[in-house]
Amino acid sequence: MKNELLHGTLEVMILKTLTWGRMHGYGVGRWIEQLGGEALRIEEGSLYPALYRLEKKGWIDAEWGLSEKNRRAKYYRLTAAGRRALRDNASIWGEFALAVSRVLKATDAPSMP
Amino acid sequence: MPASRPEPRWRRYLRFWRADVQADVDDEVAFHIGERIDDLVAAGMDPEHAREEALTRFGDMERVKSTCSTIAQEQESQMRRSEKLSVLRQDVVYALRVMRRSAGFTIAVVFTLALGIGATTAIFSVVNAVLLRPLPYADPDRMVMVFELLNGGRGRASPGHFHDWSELSNVFEATAAFSGRTYTLADGEPMRVYGARVTPGFFKTGYMPPELGRYFAPGEEESRVVVLTYGLWRTRFAGDQAIVGKPITLNGEKYTVIGVTPAAYSLTPQDERLWTPLSFTPQQRSTYGAHTFQVFGKLKPGVSIAQAQRELDRVGEGIRRRYPDEMKGRGVSVVSFSDVLVGDYRTQLWVLLGAVSFVLLIGCSNIASLMLARATARRKEIAIRGALGGSRKRLVSQLLTESLILAVAGGTAGVLLARFGVRFLVSAAPTFVPRLAEAALDPMVLSFATAATLVCGLLFGLAPALRATRVDLQSELREGGRGSSSMARDRTRAALIITEFAVALVLLVSAGLFLRSADRLQRVPLGFDPSNVTMLRVALPADRYGDTTAVQGAFSRIVDEIRSIPGVERAGASTRLPMWGISIDMGLSVEGRPANRSSRDVGHVRLATSGFLETIGVPLRRGRLLSDADLRAEAPWVVVVNETLARNLFGNENPIGHRISGWTKAEAPEWREIVGVIGDTRSFGRDAEIPPEIYIPMTQRPNGAWDAFQRSMAIVAKTKPGMTLGASARAAVARVDRQLALYDVQPMSEVVVQANATRRFNTILLSLLGVTGLVLAAIGIYGVIAFFVTQRTHEIGVRVALGASRASVVKLVVRQAATLALAGIALGAVGALWVTRVLGSMLFQVSVRDPAAFTAAGLLLLVVAIGAAWFPARRATRVDPVRALSAVG
Repeated sequence: MKNELLHGTLEVMILKTLTWGRMHGYGVGRWIEQLGGEALRIEEGSLYPALYRLEKKGWIDAEWGLSEKNRRAKYYRLTAAGRRALRDNASIWGEFALAVSRVLKATDAPSMP
Repeated sequence: MPASRPEPRWRRYLRFWRADVQADVDDEVAFHIGERIDDLVAAGMDPEHAREEALTRFGDMERVKSTCSTIAQEQESQMRRSEKLSVLRQDVVYALRVMRRSAGFTIAVVFTLALGIGATTAIFSVVNAVLLRPLPYADPDRMVMVFELLNGGRGRASPGHFHDWSELSNVFEATAAFSGRTYTLADGEPMRVYGARVTPGFFKTGYMPPELGRYFAPGEEESRVVVLTYGLWRTRFAGDQAIVGKPITLNGEKYTVIGVTPAAYSLTPQDERLWTPLSFTPQQRSTYGAHTFQVFGKLKPGVSIAQAQRELDRVGEGIRRRYPDEMKGRGVSVVSFSDVLVGDYRTQLWVLLGAVSFVLLIGCSNIASLMLARATARRKEIAIRGALGGSRKRLVSQLLTESLILAVAGGTAGVLLARFGVRFLVSAAPTFVPRLAEAALDPMVLSFATAATLVCGLLFGLAPALRATRVDLQSELREGGRGSSSMARDRTRAALIITEFAVALVLLVSAGLFLRSADRLQRVPLGFDPSNVTMLRVALPADRYGDTTAVQGAFSRIVDEIRSIPGVERAGASTRLPMWGISIDMGLSVEGRPANRSSRDVGHVRLATSGFLETIGVPLRRGRLLSDADLRAEAPWVVVVNETLARNLFGNENPIGHRISGWTKAEAPEWREIVGVIGDTRSFGRDAEIPPEIYIPMTQRPNGAWDAFQRSMAIVAKTKPGMTLGASARAAVARVDRQLALYDVQPMSEVVVQANATRRFNTILLSLLGVTGLVLAAIGIYGVIAFFVTQRTHEIGVRVALGASRASVVKLVVRQAATLALAGIALGAVGALWVTRVLGSMLFQVSVRDPAAFTAAGLLLLVVAIGAAWFPARRATRVDPVRALSAVG
């Protein structure tokens, strides 16, 4: 359960991260780590299959470049399609998260029809 | 942040290197680990532990790597696929643009192809309908017909043979004897229908589930039951669903309808419309002399035709031992039903398909040389694209795309044309060709058309594409596309022209052979004179004309009535006309000779009235013709025979005064005196053997003859020129019996034409195809020479400027064309010698190596080639040399 949920979540988070500009995989991981904190802690390796899947879907694009420390790194950036996908998925995720938290915070039992 | 930037240019180079997916993944993971270690060390961890920590945080590295490579590889191949698609789209768009730019060329190609593929598809649909589709009956492979052979010719069988074949062999699942017969259908407006008596197994030999009811059951031989065809049921009985069990009146007797066949059921070409049971008496079952039945059979599963043949040969030996004399020259033949049905049409149809494919082939090579000419004109464009990095493969695929699009356009138009072609062939085909009417553009035919289209596209596209892209880029660009013709290019073009002429020669030789054969046939004397002779057929219903004197009385009154029509000069009647009607033969014996029943002593019997032979203009050689006196009841028995019969029986001896008899086992001889010898007539057609014929006054008929002839006679009348005999003949017959119907009222000349219709149809179609091939070949060589000359205008200009006479230049060009044509003709002659062998059986008195046909075809092609070259050559020399030099230089 956690894995499947994470799959989708991870992809949305990657897309969101890349809205700030092109970034290598390590950078993306760091961003998510900083923003999500312990709650969203993942194995760092699992980031990469997600990146490759997104690239295959055409939502992100990759190119090789040089890092700040002059190391050869693969940089990712959002494509137009990715931007669209993020918009769609983000709202779905927002609604989903909202719904879940509503259920969890509910104080009254629902009235039975 | 910019929304999306175009793909950076340098990334394109990655594609050239086909980025190594595995290495990329390794690099990326290594980068990650490196960064993490750096961060951890910066946070104060010692490098040893930092590495461990980084690896732990990363997780299962091998799994991550393999997952990533898999995804990346999938993406890679996806990209390659879409790249290919976009290349194809580019090619198509480009090709369409090119086609629009050169509309004339496009139209010429599409038109040529449409004609070629249309004609080929139309003929193929006939081949498919007649030869390829399986018959609609259960187990069609096991259906056979069994014939008695007489001197090698297929004939009908006797009841005894049928009985022995069925009972004494063990190769058949079902057998049936069949005998055609005319019925009068009463109940309402009387109607004459052709039908047949069949033994109950008939519907098992070629089984289709009945539309209604059932078929005959074993043991139903004696019952008054009838099976109707779908057609008769629909027209006569308005498709009455409750018809089964109802009584109908046939020839004055009540029959009960027990079943209706499905619409597609049509086992015999006679097109009978109802069937009643046929039974044999024990006496008939041991009769081996009367050969009147067609025999159908269905082999047991696993029994081959050869096995069945051996088995029936064995049965035949048994009969021969019992009746050695009667069986002289006789044998048995088991033939697969589909072979009987299709018969000679098989060769004819394949020949037509071959011929029409040849026309298509010529069309294709025409298009190929057009494409080549155009590709040459486009050399510069191709060279530039090559120089810009278009690979040869890419250029060839571009050119092939163009030719395939052209082919598909032509093929589509061709299929539309084929629809009309099929309709034309079905309506114009002369005689009964089995299942021809079912020819249609079904999936099989459409697949054929598609295949033909693609093959054409490749045929006329591939060679020019390969040729055109094998350009030396440097020299081409340097020359500025002026196009000095290199030898290699000429060789391709020459090969095309030679092929065209070779194929055209084969076509023309075939057409020539057919024309020669038709000419030979036309010169065969008929032996009678059909001019101004009209025929009509009267058949008397058995219920009202059961008695033979009634039959004879009716026919002689009808002949008298016809004679009384003003404008009729002569009239007579016979049970058979030359090239028309039923022919029944019987064995003959000569008085005073030992019963030497050799197979040659056979006569084809015709019952006749006086005046018949005079009417159709058969010449008298000796003695006299039949007279009115011969028809009187008490008259002595006489016959008139033809020369062939006289020669067979008497050699050079005078046959007049000899007496002959048809022999039978049981009865005493009925001696008939030969009173006259008439000239031979081409009784079975101009191309068939002349049968020995014997004319008997109808009143002196042998026993059972009227039944055998179905109480039917053909009445012929010689009229004044230009006179038609329809209404007055009808009135004349009505004066005798107003219920009698007339059939087949037509001029005798029409009968003669009909007898030859299949040959005529073949000849016309093949000649048409030959002429088409000739015209296409002429266009081809004209186009090539014209193009060649245009390309060499510069050279010709120089020659003329240097003082060469125009005539000598023309001669040079024409000589080159003639050389190509001669090479093609020589090659074609060799091909024709090989190909025309299959025509042998379709030709009449013409050898398949007929020198006249070969010479004429060759000369015609040579003349056409010279003509086609002469016009463009002369035009080229008329160009002002100064202009020619400056324009092109």
